[in-house]
Amino acid sequence: MQPTASAGGDSLMDGELNPLTPDPSPTEGEESERRYDPRTKLVVYLLGCGVILLTTRPLELLPLTAAPLLGIAFGRHWSQWLGVMRLLWPTLLLFAAVVGFGSGPEAAAGAVLRLLALVTASTLFFALTPPEELGESLLSSGLPPQAVFLLEGTLRFAPTMAVLAREVREAQESRGIRLDGFYLLRNGLALLGPLLFSIMRFADDLAEALESRGFGGPTRTPLVEYRFRIRDWVLVLGMLMVTLGWVFISR
Amino acid sequence: MTGALIACRGVSYRYPVSAQLVLQDLDFTVNPGEFVLLAGASGSGKSTLCRLLNGLIPHLHGGEVRGDLTVAGADPRWTPPHQLSREVGLLLQRPDAQCLATTVARDLAFGPACQGLDRAAIARRVRAVTGWMDIAHLLDRSPHTLSCGEQQRVALAGVLAMEPKLLVLDEPFAFLDVAGAGQLRERLRGLHAAGITLIVAEHRLGEVAALASRMLVLHQGRLMADGSPATVLAGNVAAWGLEPPGPWPEASRPATTGLEPVVEWDGIWCERDGRPVLRGADLVSAAGEIAALLGANGAGKSTLLRHGNGLLRSPRGAVRVLGRPVGKRPVAEVAGDVGLVMQQPAHMLFAPTVRAELAAGPRALRRHDPAWCEQLSERFGLEPLLDRPPQMLSAGEQRRVALAAVLASRPRALLLDEPTAGQDAIARATLRTLLAECATEGLAITVATHDPRWAWPLCPRWAVLAEGRITTADLSTVQAQHEAWSCSQRHPLAVTP
Repeated sequence: MQPTASAGGDSLMDGELNPLTPDPSPTEGEESERRYDPRTKLVVYLLGCGVILLTTRPLELLPLTAAPLLGIAFGRHWSQWLGVMRLLWPTLLLFAAVVGFGSGPEAAAGAVLRLLALVTASTLFFALTPPEELGESLLSSGLPPQAVFLLEGTLRFAPTMAVLAREVREAQESRGIRLDGFYLLRNGLALLGPLLFSIMRFADDLAEALESRGFGGPTRTPLVEYRFRIRDWVLVLGMLMVTLGWVFISR
Repeated sequence: MTGALIACRGVSYRYPVSAQLVLQDLDFTVNPGEFVLLAGASGSGKSTLCRLLNGLIPHLHGGEVRGDLTVAGADPRWTPPHQLSREVGLLLQRPDAQCLATTVARDLAFGPACQGLDRAAIARRVRAVTGWMDIAHLLDRSPHTLSCGEQQRVALAGVLAMEPKLLVLDEPFAFLDVAGAGQLRERLRGLHAAGITLIVAEHRLGEVAALASRMLVLHQGRLMADGSPATVLAGNVAAWGLEPPGPWPEASRPATTGLEPVVEWDGIWCERDGRPVLRGADLVSAAGEIAALLGANGAGKSTLLRHGNGLLRSPRGAVRVLGRPVGKRPVAEVAGDVGLVMQQPAHMLFAPTVRAELAAGPRALRRHDPAWCEQLSERFGLEPLLDRPPQMLSAGEQRRVALAAVLASRPRALLLDEPTAGQDAIARATLRTLLAECATEGLAITVATHDPRWAWPLCPRWAVLAEGRITTADLSTVQAQHEAWSCSQRHPLAVTP
């Protein structure tokens, strides 16, 4: 119960053991993060991304990168951030080289900082906002269930797809078809072919399962009822003013 | 006819891109409270009929339905599946695609929420199915972290939370171990007692025949038999590609000793998500011998097989192939000696034709022998399929292609992971014959299976994986334990050394 109540929502079965509450005892850090409605966090995140995208000069991008980094530090979300960065750094390097070669070092620094700021803001947003909570809140706002499932389904089935990819890779390696390093380029079809077929078959199965479970109708009851509170309005309006101010100063 | 839950009069169906009728002139009714076993070989139309009953056909798959069909007072042709799902629950074969939410609790609430129930009603239903299916300990788990049997239970609970009058299950036993199958039988018995009408499409007739009050047999889309299971099974069901439940067949391959070991697992340890899966497991696969590897879902059978060709490496112990430690040798190198056929053969198939598929592995290992590939395609009955894309074949045909593709590299040992899952009686019998031939030629074969009855005439040696260790057992012990368990339906297979 606690997380949904503190998130400004009325959940199922107040005062009872709620089997739909995935995490009944948030930690102290999580408590403050969950004070706000998920939609408030979404608006703040989108405005933040807008500001980052409108900014090009490295010196101006520095505080915009530092701000979400501070959030990562305060929320102790370093492990998620480092996990993302481990995957991202080759892209950052490539990005820097390509932009630097074409437009000079300042543009390269700006491009890298902008990408870094966007990725850090996104990591912070998803660390603070479980997608299922965001989905439920958007459902409360009247978003069609199909659109909400796009968000939830991505989260639910990403690990399944990863398992599928691993199984295909193992199946091919067991036949002597190498897929490591350079061999991935040469034998990539052996990975991509079965993977695409398996994903298409999985998508068919998933569509059948969804229809069989009543998905496809016009309604879906949100499991938690979210309400915008005063603090949500204050944060959204505050962020809107900061954004407008930033745009005005940058001009 | 009056009061029938399903009334089917002259129903035929064809898929959109096919001229062939998949269902032909079906005539039957099902009354409330009946327990119907729907039997038939692969391609007989069982799954198609299941999908027709809840409106997935024609709403999702298209095609042409003829005749008169009423299910729970509605015509599935004109009633969308999400409306029909209030009356008709459908449990599909693949459990991982049916757990739709990020946690089990949310998944159970998914169906009732889509029905538009208020939150208190949703919570009541979730609590009810949680208790009934005994899955309270899974509520906070992510579905992808569950074992196959657990996913199956959650998927069934998710369907039951919608409180259907009619529950249709499409091959629910396909991926379950002996214990999981027993638990599912208990649940089905309970649902039947609670008055829910059940239709169970299944290849493993022995799992359901004793529970069902009625049996329908489909063959090439036609209804061939309709009666009590005892009456139907007393006839010549083999003509429809069915294997009637009965006494175990004769064990035809006595165990021999002194055979040359090909793959040796020596004290293998493995952890998954911090949980020990293998704890010093020992096993030997010897030339010319077929060994059956039994164990519950999640016991570590697939994990042990994956150590056999170097896909997984043990921090302790060693795997030796032909006396040489696998150590850090690349998997692609070990693959020349040890072939592994995965549970899902479709994961292995990528070439544009079956012919190219057979050649792909040997080419990668630089040991392509066209004459051997030709021999294999003849032996495995693949000649008519050689120019067809392997991805478009039936599950049984894909299984044969995958096996032939692995054997094309002339490995000395063959490891098979659940080769009979979801296969009909004909495909299972064909596979048994092929493996027996391979063993006669000196191949060392290890089969991880939940299907001891299938393996019974094939395997002279049995190994049971439990609590991370292997215990070996002789034929009579396995049979006695399995039979005792099947009768009581309470105790998981446990063979004492």
